[in-house]
Amino acid sequence: MSGDKPLSRFHQPISTPGRRMLHHIPLNFVRKKAVGGGGRALNQDLPLVPFIDFLLCLVLFLLASFSASGELPIDKNVKLPNAQNAEDMIEAPMVAVSGTQILVDGTPAGSTRAILDANRLQKIEELAEILKNKRELWTQLHPGEKHPGNVILQVDRRVQALVVKSVFNTAAQAGYPAVSFMVGKMAKD
Amino acid sequence: MAGIDTGGGHGKRASNHEIPLIPFIDFLLCLVMFLLVTAVWNHMARIQADANVPGKPKDEPQDKIEKEKELHVEMTGERRFQLKWQEGTTVLNTIDVERKPVEVGDDVTYPDLTEKIQKEWAANGAHKTPADKKFDRAILHTDNSTEFSHVIAVLDSIYATKRKFDVGGGKLEDFAAFQVTFAAK
Repeated sequence: MSGDKPLSRFHQPISTPGRRMLHHIPLNFVRKKAVGGGGRALNQDLPLVPFIDFLLCLVLFLLASFSASGELPIDKNVKLPNAQNAEDMIEAPMVAVSGTQILVDGTPAGSTRAILDANRLQKIEELAEILKNKRELWTQLHPGEKHPGNVILQVDRRVQALVVKSVFNTAAQAGYPAVSFMVGKMAKD
Repeated sequence: MAGIDTGGGHGKRASNHEIPLIPFIDFLLCLVMFLLVTAVWNHMARIQADANVPGKPKDEPQDKIEKEKELHVEMTGERRFQLKWQEGTTVLNTIDVERKPVEVGDDVTYPDLTEKIQKEWAANGAHKTPADKKFDRAILHTDNSTEFSHVIAVLDSIYATKRKFDVGGGKLEDFAAFQVTFAAK
């Protein structure tokens, strides 16, 4: 481009391309920080692959620790005691005994108040009837097999022993001699 | 993002692929959240009590009935437990254990009773060998007004006594030394 032509006012010297942004900041140390001309790069790569490995391990651990025995329905009015020397759960009819009522798999089967008022060990007729029906149903569904006689009692920690013994005896008389008490697992010393 | 580079790419379709890691991480995080929310940390267990008390066989004469030693655990006193070794109605030995409850959170344990029962079984238990299919029997006597949490604490103490049991093929496992039932009275 020659200097005589009118376009000469657009003449610019050819210079090496480089950083342009933020170079107008007058303070030297601020400019250095802003431009990023320091020793350490500001951009960082996230190590995604180890992160995914960690997440996969976590998912596998949670899936492995998922146990059906923990999914057992517990009556909301029943607060269970804990014990150290307990066994794993089994599948059996569930009798919940709270401070006021007795339920078999969620169906009302008697009142604890009535037992306490009577103040003596007694057979709970309603409970016995429901348990007998369950036993008969099991026998029909499993012809030729011996009934295991298991029943699980979910008893609230504050319920008195008289009620527990009445339910225990009723279950035994209804054909469920193998009675288990549901408890929470307490860590061993 | 992670990619798969086959090194080719001369054909019509590109062989290199990008794996969408961010949606994959989102999916994994959702899965973790779901599993954490639905996880049940307080696992349930059971304590066995047996109502199969051996009764008197009807056809057998009274003098031929084999009487076995049984451990009666009485928690009727407020200050102490009483351990009784009985053969039928004959009391062979009586031991008093001071009632010292140790509170663990909302629960109660009786470590002194546990220790005493273990010693008593070691000294007087009848079924100790792994090949023995029978177990010693413990009978629990409680007051009608005793709270269930205390009953479970005593049952827990009884079940703390373990013995080796041959489960077949010479494999030995730890089993509770006693089968427990409630006194009918």
